[in-house]
Amino acid sequence: MLRFFLLRLFRALVTIALVVTFAFVVLRMSGDPATIILGPEAPPSAVAAFREAWGLNDPIWVQYLSYFGAILQGDLGMSMRDGRPAIELVAERIPATLQLTVPTLILKLAIGIPAGVYAALHRDSIVDRIVMIGAVVGFTMPSFVLGLILVLIFSVTLGWLPSGGQDSWLHAALPIATMGIGGAAVLARFSRSAMIEVLGQPYIRTASAKGVSWPRVIRGHAMPNAAIPIVTIVGFMVGSLVAGAVVIESLFSWPGVGRLLVIAVSNRDLAVVQCILLLIAVTMVVSNFVVDILYGYLDPRLRNNYAKA
Amino acid sequence: MVNITRRAALGLAAGAAGSLALPRFAIGQSDNRASVTIAVQKISNTNTLDCIREQSNVGERSLYPNLWEGLIGRNWLGDQGPVPLLATEWKRVDDRTVELKLRDGVKFHNGDPLTVEDVAFTFGQERMFADSQPTEGKTIYVAGLETRGREAKELPVEIPANARRQWPALLGVEIVDRNTVRFVNGTPDVTIEGRLFQAGAQIMNRRAWEEAKSYDDWARRPITTGPYMVSDYKPDQSLLLVSYDEYWGGLPPLKQIRFVEVPEVASRINGLLSGEYDFACDIPPDQIVGVESNSDFEVLGGTILNHRITVFDKHHPQLENPLVRRAMTHAIDRQAIVDSLWAGRTAIPNGLQWPFYGDMFFDDWKVPEYNPELARQLLQEAGYKGDPIPYRVLNNYYTNQTATAQIQVEMWKQVGLNVEIEMKENWSQVLEHTPNRAVRDWSNSATFSDPVSSIVAQHGPNGQQQQVREWTNEEVNRMSVVLETSTDRAKRREAFRRMLEICEREDPAYTVLHQNAVFTAKPKALKWKAASAFAMDFRPGNWS
Repeated sequence: MLRFFLLRLFRALVTIALVVTFAFVVLRMSGDPATIILGPEAPPSAVAAFREAWGLNDPIWVQYLSYFGAILQGDLGMSMRDGRPAIELVAERIPATLQLTVPTLILKLAIGIPAGVYAALHRDSIVDRIVMIGAVVGFTMPSFVLGLILVLIFSVTLGWLPSGGQDSWLHAALPIATMGIGGAAVLARFSRSAMIEVLGQPYIRTASAKGVSWPRVIRGHAMPNAAIPIVTIVGFMVGSLVAGAVVIESLFSWPGVGRLLVIAVSNRDLAVVQCILLLIAVTMVVSNFVVDILYGYLDPRLRNNYAKA
Repeated sequence: MVNITRRAALGLAAGAAGSLALPRFAIGQSDNRASVTIAVQKISNTNTLDCIREQSNVGERSLYPNLWEGLIGRNWLGDQGPVPLLATEWKRVDDRTVELKLRDGVKFHNGDPLTVEDVAFTFGQERMFADSQPTEGKTIYVAGLETRGREAKELPVEIPANARRQWPALLGVEIVDRNTVRFVNGTPDVTIEGRLFQAGAQIMNRRAWEEAKSYDDWARRPITTGPYMVSDYKPDQSLLLVSYDEYWGGLPPLKQIRFVEVPEVASRINGLLSGEYDFACDIPPDQIVGVESNSDFEVLGGTILNHRITVFDKHHPQLENPLVRRAMTHAIDRQAIVDSLWAGRTAIPNGLQWPFYGDMFFDDWKVPEYNPELARQLLQEAGYKGDPIPYRVLNNYYTNQTATAQIQVEMWKQVGLNVEIEMKENWSQVLEHTPNRAVRDWSNSATFSDPVSSIVAQHGPNGQQQQVREWTNEEVNRMSVVLETSTDRAKRREAFRRMLEICEREDPAYTVLHQNAVFTAKPKALKWKAASAFAMDFRPGNWS
């Protein structure tokens, strides 16, 4: 188990290093932060002074080594635009994003899985068709389109909910609904197909033939086996908690990590972008690790493989 | 004789104190002034409210005229020209010196009276210039303005650079008496008064600067003399200004002004229609009809002191011959662009100049006429063979930018020019000095009422276009010096006219397309007038 853990950890660190390197190269090769942050009207002397102050005149490999060295010492750098530690800026935004993404995740799970399972259990019925039509619509509609439709209905026409901002919990309703509907549709589709596949397996027939009640077959045999692909998707959703609302935060003027990421990328504020990417990478890696552990819990065969490894 | 005991005296004192407090309480209770929420695309590019650091149209909206005030103000609701503000009068002492009298009774938001020391400090080394020196002479160190026992703030590096661009030859500010200051230049300069009303020349409170823990602390809550003061600023999110009831110009008409950042235009409009915002700014022209289809709303605004231009890199092989650039200027039907993309709500200006230049404005000067035949003839004379000319375009950094570029490319194609759009993501990519840099978009403003603020600042020897090595012209550079240092009005006029001829005709550096315009949507019920600017004026007199 320790070897399994260490192997996963090593892979995670390599992934994070690659993400950081890739982001550094892409961002630094696609624009000079001094010109972007100071704007087109800035005097050339200001641009030159800014470049000098932030070490942007050094060769790019020197900047990279310096940046990477600082990360290894726990220093994620300063925001060139804000003049504050990048980690501070990102940390300030995390609660706002979690205010959206955690309830959204709960909404997705609460709607998506029951809907998918119910549709699978009533395959080809009218309910199944309705659920799947809804899922396809929710899955294919871009979130910014759905968001605008919801705003037009609930804010502009009915006046029930605010259209943007973060002044109260009510302001979170439309962003959560927008993200929740799309995510629930994905989960419903996956849950349905996973359940249908499992329900066709011989062990389900065997259990039924042995006289086990149908609800017990579903609870004890079908759902645990169907859970593996669902857990994979949910793991991905959990991994997206800290930065999975980029479009929605911009659309609803929600001051979270996603909006900060957009601003930082457009300004080539490298330290902030890197900090957010690190955060995303770490969350994703941890989430995947937990999913791997859950696989072992859900499937005894994988558990035995881990033990042998 | 009336005997007053100690108890009676205490009672009287308490009564007097109460009588002072009560009316204020009563006023507070009866304050039924409105508060407004304004949805903007961006509050500040620099995440500060520092007028010298925030050198953009974005900052103009949140900083002026509600927060920052200068000695000389801008006539926001009029011709944009200079008007007395914190100085009541000014006069020329000589061709290098302007003397100004400060207004009495002006108080900063922290209660301090405005003093000549505040003015001198505002234009001093610690706040503006750091170690930079004027083009001629040395900065004057005004007596009594050393840092008062506190550690000096570390200025962001761009502040001295911005300050020196605005005040290239300012030696310093002399304190004449408790109400009078003199701005002393190292060279003769007729634009000192103009420079005093541009963005960045506003007056700050010295004590607030010294008491702030850091530059950022100060810059996010500057103490100024404006009608509204900063209550809360969350960078990239919101700015809350509250009424400064002691404002020298009378009680501000609003209790609060809240700016909120709403980056998406659809969200700003939806928020306005649903009643969350009172104003939605930066409305694109194609959305105006949609907003005004609701009879409760209207869209205000119009042209501003900013022209959209297309800029040439004369070192590109296809553009080395000025005839090709001239052909490009004659191939553009500017009126078609104004009519189709701006619904006629902007105008084609008289080249890179504005009427508020006064006697420096040439009414007879026009942009190159739309003449496809002439364009074709010029290309023939130039021997242009149809080689591609790259055109770097940002995705709607300017309103209608992409559509305008596409129209221009088609118009150029009509006369035989092979211009190819290259979409870029940021200004660094647009300005990158590579062999394929040829044509790009830009806009130029006039920060004060003289050509020095535009044609010299942007296209002269220290302007961006020459600094990024797109274009240069020896005669233009000589004329720039004349405009900057001569006090002979006739000679200056002649120099400006010559610069226009060279930059817009003989050796085109750029071509002016149209004036930029800005639009703000609001409920009709709110009685407020929009300025011909990004700035939103909520001072006494512009609200009912």
